[in-house]
Amino acid sequence: MIRLIVGRLLFMVPAAFLLVSFLFALFHLIPGDPAVMLAGDNAPRSVVEGIREAYGFDQPLHIQYGRYIAKVFQGDLGISNYTRDPVVNSVIPRIINTAQLAFLSMLFAMVVSLLLGCVSAMYWNRPLDKFVTVVSLLGICTPVFVTGLLGIYFFSIYLGWLPISGMSSWRHFILPVITLGSFQAAVLTRMVRSCMVDALGKDYITTARAKGAPEFLVVFKHALRNALLPIVTLFGLGLGHTLGGSVVTETIFNWPGLGRLMVNSILTRDLPITQGSIFFFAMIFILVNLLVDLVYAWVDPRIRYD
Amino acid sequence: MNLRRILSAAAAALSVCVLAGGIALAQDAKPQYGGELVYAQAGEQFSLFPGRNLDSGAQDVWLYACENLVEMNEDGSVSPLLAKSWTVSTDRKKFIFELQQGVKFHDGSAFDAEAVAFVFNEAKAKKFIYSNILEGFEAAKAEGQHSVSMTFTSPFAALIPNLAYRPLCIFSPTAYKKNGEQWMATNIVGTGPFIQKEFSKGEHIRFVKNPDYWQKGKPYLDAVKIINVPDPAVRSALLEKGEIDRTVRLNDFDLARLEKNKDVKIRVVPSTRQYYIALNHMVPALAHVNVRKAFNYAMDKAGIVKSVFADRGAILAKAPTLSEGVYGYADMRNPGEDTIFPFNLARAKELMKNAGYEDRNKDGIVEDVKGAKLALNLFTRRGGTQGDFQVAQLIQTFLKDLGVEVRIQVLESAAFGDAIKLGPTDAKYDMALLSWGIPTADPDEPMMLFTLTQAWKPVGSNRMFYSSEEVDRLSMLAHSEIDDAKRKGYVKQWMGELLRDAPVVYLPVLALNLGSRSYLHGDRILSVDNYPAPFAWLDKDEMKKQNIRR
Repeated sequence: MIRLIVGRLLFMVPAAFLLVSFLFALFHLIPGDPAVMLAGDNAPRSVVEGIREAYGFDQPLHIQYGRYIAKVFQGDLGISNYTRDPVVNSVIPRIINTAQLAFLSMLFAMVVSLLLGCVSAMYWNRPLDKFVTVVSLLGICTPVFVTGLLGIYFFSIYLGWLPISGMSSWRHFILPVITLGSFQAAVLTRMVRSCMVDALGKDYITTARAKGAPEFLVVFKHALRNALLPIVTLFGLGLGHTLGGSVVTETIFNWPGLGRLMVNSILTRDLPITQGSIFFFAMIFILVNLLVDLVYAWVDPRIRYD
Repeated sequence: MNLRRILSAAAAALSVCVLAGGIALAQDAKPQYGGELVYAQAGEQFSLFPGRNLDSGAQDVWLYACENLVEMNEDGSVSPLLAKSWTVSTDRKKFIFELQQGVKFHDGSAFDAEAVAFVFNEAKAKKFIYSNILEGFEAAKAEGQHSVSMTFTSPFAALIPNLAYRPLCIFSPTAYKKNGEQWMATNIVGTGPFIQKEFSKGEHIRFVKNPDYWQKGKPYLDAVKIINVPDPAVRSALLEKGEIDRTVRLNDFDLARLEKNKDVKIRVVPSTRQYYIALNHMVPALAHVNVRKAFNYAMDKAGIVKSVFADRGAILAKAPTLSEGVYGYADMRNPGEDTIFPFNLARAKELMKNAGYEDRNKDGIVEDVKGAKLALNLFTRRGGTQGDFQVAQLIQTFLKDLGVEVRIQVLESAAFGDAIKLGPTDAKYDMALLSWGIPTADPDEPMMLFTLTQAWKPVGSNRMFYSSEEVDRLSMLAHSEIDDAKRKGYVKQWMGELLRDAPVVYLPVLALNLGSRSYLHGDRILSVDNYPAPFAWLDKDEMKKQNIRR
C-alpha cells in the first residue's frame, strides 16, 4: 500500500511540471504583447517598456521559462494585474469556497445515487425502477444553468424559502449544492443501478439469501460492496466534472469561488490569475485521482497485492 | 445654451416627469436616512482608476466616490458640481472654473485648484485613456486657491459636457502620488458622498457614507453595496425576491413580466448608443459607396428591434450615429420613412448592380465583373453588447438575401478588442459589429474620433478607415464653433454627409433599462448609460410591508 501511495505521489511531480510548462506556454501563445496587456490601453511607451523590463519579458524565452518554473516551485504564481495581490492570496480563499460547494454537491450526489440506485435495482423492471430511470435521465439531460434557474424561480421566488445569492448562511448552500449535485446524482444513479442489478444476480447473493440473510444486509453489505468498484472510479471523475461545472453554478448563484474567479480573470485578461486558477484546478483534479486510487485499493484488495 | 436648447431640455424633463408619474410623486416625499442600497451590476469592473478605464460599469461604481467638475442630468443638460461656476474667454480657448470651497478628499487632503490642475495635467502627461476627448488641451493652472483655468490650442465648444464624462472625475492627487496608478486600480479616492470600504474584484464593492461630505444633509443612505451578477435572469430573480434593491440591463423579454409586479418599477430610456457595422473601406467591395448603401438598405432594422429586443430594448435610428438627447441631433429621415435607410431589398439589389455586383452564375451569391464571389467576414462578440450575436446572425441572413456570403467570426471580448484596434494594413476584419455610444451627449466625440481621417485606427476610433474631406472640414468647424446655431448647422451637415457616404451600416439605437424596488427613491437613469443613485433613499415602512429585512 505504501509503495502504491509513494508511486502515485511521485507521479504528481512530472504531472505538475507538465502543467506549469503548459501554463507558461499559454501566457506566451495568447495573441498580444503581455507588457501592453499589463499596462492597459493608451499607456505610454515608457510604462510598457518599464513593465517589460520589470517582468523580464525582454529576456529570451528559455530564461523566462526557467525563472517561471523556479518561482512556481517556490509557491510564487505571480501577482494579479489589477489587484496587485499575490495570485496565491486571491486563489486560496476561492478554493475553499469551491471545495465546500463541490464536496457538499458530491456528498448529495453520492447519498441520492446510492439510495435511488439500490432501490431501483431492488425493484428492477418494476414501476418504481422505471420512475427512477426517468428522473435520472431528466437529471442527465438538464443543463446545470437550467436546473439552477428553475430552482431559483420555484424555491426562491415562488415559494420564497431560499436565498439566491451569496454564501453567508447554511440556507445559501441548498440551491447551489442541489444544482451542482443533481447532474452527478443522476449519472451515478444510473451507474449504481446497473452495477447493483449485475451484483444482485451473482451466485454469492443467492447463497446469502439461501442462508437467510435479511434483504437489507444482502443489498447494502454483500451486493453494494462488490458493486462499488466502478462507482468509485466514476465518483472520482464526477468530482472533476463538479469542479468544472462549478463555474456555471458559481456564476448563477454569485458564489465567490474559483470558477468565477477564473471566468472573471479571462474576461479581464488577468492572466496570472487565470494561470493560478487553472494550476489549482488541475492540482485538485490530480489529488482527487490519487485519492480515488487509494480508495480503489481499499475497496479491492487485489489492487493492494498487485 | 440658446433658448431652443433650454426649451427642448425643459420639454424632455417634463415628459420624463409625466412618464414617471407616481414615481415622481413618491420621490417628492421627505427622504429618509439610513439603510444599505444593494445594487446588482451586469459586468466586471476592469479597473477603478478613471485614467485607464472607460467601461460604463466601472463609471457607475466610482460615481459614488469620485465627482466631476460638472454633472449631466437626465435631460442631457449639465449642472455645476465641484465647479460652482465657470467663465470662458472671448476666444473660447480659456475656461476658468470657480470651485466649491470646504471640500475634502476621502484621504483628508484638500480639494482645491492645485488638485484639479494636477489631475488634468497628469491626464495629458500620462495619456489617460480619456485624453482624446480633451482635444487641443494645453494645460490647467491654479489661478487661486479655488480658481482653476484650462487652456486649449483652439476654441473648444464641447468642453463643459465633456467634463461631465465620469472618467474625468477629480481623484485625490495625494493618494495617487503616494500609492501609484496600480493601487488606484482597486481604490477610488475622491470627494464623493461615499467612501470605498471593501473591494473584491469580480464580486462586490462596498461604500460607506462620507460623514464629511460637502453637500450638507447628504447622502441619505448609510452604505451602498454593488455586486456583480452576470446573468440577467438571475438579476431579475434577485430583484423580484427583494435580495437587491436595483439592477440594470434586464432581459428585454422579462420586462413585461416584471412590470406586472407592483413591488418593482421598471424604467426604460433610449440610450445614446447606436449599433453599427464597421465596414472596412480597405476591402475593395466596401470602398464602393453603392455597396455600402446597399448593405444599409438590406437590413430589416424593424425586424431586429422586434426579434432581438422584444420591441423594448432598441428603437429605430432617426439619424446617423447621433440619437435623441445628443446635442445637435436632428431627425434625418425622409418623410414617411420609419428609419434612415429603411429596409428595401429591391433598392439594395439595384445599388449592388450599379456597383457591378450581380449573381452571374445564378448560385445565389453575387460576383464582381471579374467573376469573383463577394464573401466577407463579420467579426463579433457574443454578449459584449446586448443581443450582439443574434444581431450578427440576422445580418448574415439579410446579406445572404442580397447575395453576399458572410462568415461570422465570434471572438471573446479581449481578442475582439485587440482585433478591432489595428491599423488599416493590419486589420483582418471586413465587417465588425460594434456600437457607438456618446457618453458626453455631445457630437464632438464621434466627429473627432469616429469619422475624422486623422482618427483612423490605431490613433482614434475610425475603424472603417473612412475618409472624406467634407466630413473632416465640418468636424473641425463644429469642434471650434462658438455660435450655437452655426454649430448645430455644421452637425446637421455632417450627418447629411454621413447619409450620403454611408461609411457604416446604421442599425437600431439601444434602449437602457433600470429595475428597482418600489421603496427606493431618488435614483436616476441617464441616456449615457449611467445609473446614479448617490442621493437615493429607502422608504423603511414600504420595505417592511414588502417583508424586506436586511
